[in-house]
Amino acid sequence: MNAGMKKYLIVIAVLAIALAMVPFALGFNQYYILLAATSLIFAVFVVAWNIIGGYAGQLDLAPIAYVGVGGIVAAQLLKYYGITPWIGMFIGAGASMLLAAAIGYPTFRFGIKEVWYALLTSSLVVILNNIAHLPQFLGSLDHYLPAKTGWYYLIFPDYQNLYYIIVALLIATILINLKISNSKMGYYLRAIREDELAAEALGIDVRKYKLMALITYAGIMGFSGYLYIVLQGTYSYHTFDSPTSLTIAIMGIIGGLGSIAGAFTSAVFLKTVEEYLRSTIGATIPGLYLLIYGILLIVVGIFKPEGIAALFNWIKKKMGFENRGM
Amino acid sequence: MVKPILQVKNVVKRFGGIIAVNNISFDVREGEIMGLIGPNGAGKTTLFNCITGIYMPEEGKVYFMGEDITGLPPHKIALKGIARTWQKTRPFKKMTVLEAVTVGALLRTSNVDKAMRKAEEVLKFIGFPKEKINALGKDITLMDHKMVDLARAIATEPKLLLLDEVAAGLRPHEMDRLAEVLRKINSEKGITMIVVEHVMRFVMGLSGRIVVMHEGQKIAEGRPEEIANDPKVIEAYLGTKPV
Repeated sequence: MNAGMKKYLIVIAVLAIALAMVPFALGFNQYYILLAATSLIFAVFVVAWNIIGGYAGQLDLAPIAYVGVGGIVAAQLLKYYGITPWIGMFIGAGASMLLAAAIGYPTFRFGIKEVWYALLTSSLVVILNNIAHLPQFLGSLDHYLPAKTGWYYLIFPDYQNLYYIIVALLIATILINLKISNSKMGYYLRAIREDELAAEALGIDVRKYKLMALITYAGIMGFSGYLYIVLQGTYSYHTFDSPTSLTIAIMGIIGGLGSIAGAFTSAVFLKTVEEYLRSTIGATIPGLYLLIYGILLIVVGIFKPEGIAALFNWIKKKMGFENRGM
Repeated sequence: MVKPILQVKNVVKRFGGIIAVNNISFDVREGEIMGLIGPNGAGKTTLFNCITGIYMPEEGKVYFMGEDITGLPPHKIALKGIARTWQKTRPFKKMTVLEAVTVGALLRTSNVDKAMRKAEEVLKFIGFPKEKINALGKDITLMDHKMVDLARAIATEPKLLLLDEVAAGLRPHEMDRLAEVLRKINSEKGITMIVVEHVMRFVMGLSGRIVVMHEGQKIAEGRPEEIANDPKVIEAYLGTKPV
């Protein structure tokens, strides 16, 4: 570990403490804590998405597919077999990773990339939505988690505990990102993003590394899925929701591809704005937040393709971090 | 007789009805700098792509250090010890120079710190300006890009280096500097090279032996001064003398 890495760890420690104090700052208002938890689980999604979308540069539009599969597997295991989500979340993550392998292997084998990869992944969400809708699977009904509370179920009468679990998950996700970014895998993924052919000629097994990135990201998504369902309250075929899936990718792009800090800030900021708009004028102008995302995307595209990350790079330079393209 | 490090045997590559590389054979001897020249569209780059695994040759074989490497994927060929640079540079724009070269060095180690030190060493060896190693790929000049491309390739510790029109677009004094660096790489690191080139002055001064391609075929092979006076080569470049 070098000195640069230590600086990042200090920043993460400060972030963890700051996030831990949020419920106090919100005066334990349950509604606000729920909003904060929702923002942070999206931060988990976007930071995890950064692995495939940011480092590897693959425009993956199927994040909710992996969240949904992992979450629903864990929820069903709890509901029908009484298996605690402490185990179910790992099984859910495994299911998402298997799905990712099944999608990624042929996709990368046949060199599907760019627009075609985006189309393929976005249709994955639609396909899963339709499959889940079949009566053999979830049918058209909403499913509820068992009406029980406690650490065994990870369902609580108030939202603080869930909030802290999500903070822990977020910190873990950030650490995984940082670890990847500073490892051989991170360098290789960024090289693949910049120029696949040049990367391959430098001895990089492009297919293998893309698949590793996809599976890692799907694993984190699948693991978080159950917590997402707890926050939502119910699960159904609607869990495979295309706009939500797109939102995660858009947040990642606005944050700046390959930037952990950008991904985090963008998710927290945009999700908070979205929830605020939904609670204030959501009834009169529903879907306004999507319009705002669209405008932001255009603004970022024209003026700052590096996204929010550009701001952090400026701060990092001022604070004396090395320029490492992160 | 020095053992050939690379043997190209009767390689054929077609694109639809066009035969880009037509039955080409030659040997590259260990330690030499071999020039590969020919007019535009002669099939030089296609031949490079056949050697480095980007294209699969339709016929013929490529042997590297006695081993058949025909049809292996590019990353496996790189692992065996063949590196290349690109006619049109392929920079990693959002990575720093040091990071880009580190990517190359990571082929022989998994330790990022070690690879980074190796990258610094290589950049120093080829004389890359130290103050620019933390610049992003998008902020440097063409000459810098050529040097980074070269450093990236050398960092993979190749035994054979294929240079595809490395001097294209450079100013004369930059070319001289580059030729000097290439000679240094060849003599001090013992890396064998194939230099594809258009710029005659550059390739004639650099290589000990030259293979000439024209319309997919090999039309001449020999020392630079023999090549310069070969009527077939002159014809290929300048056309026939009107009678």
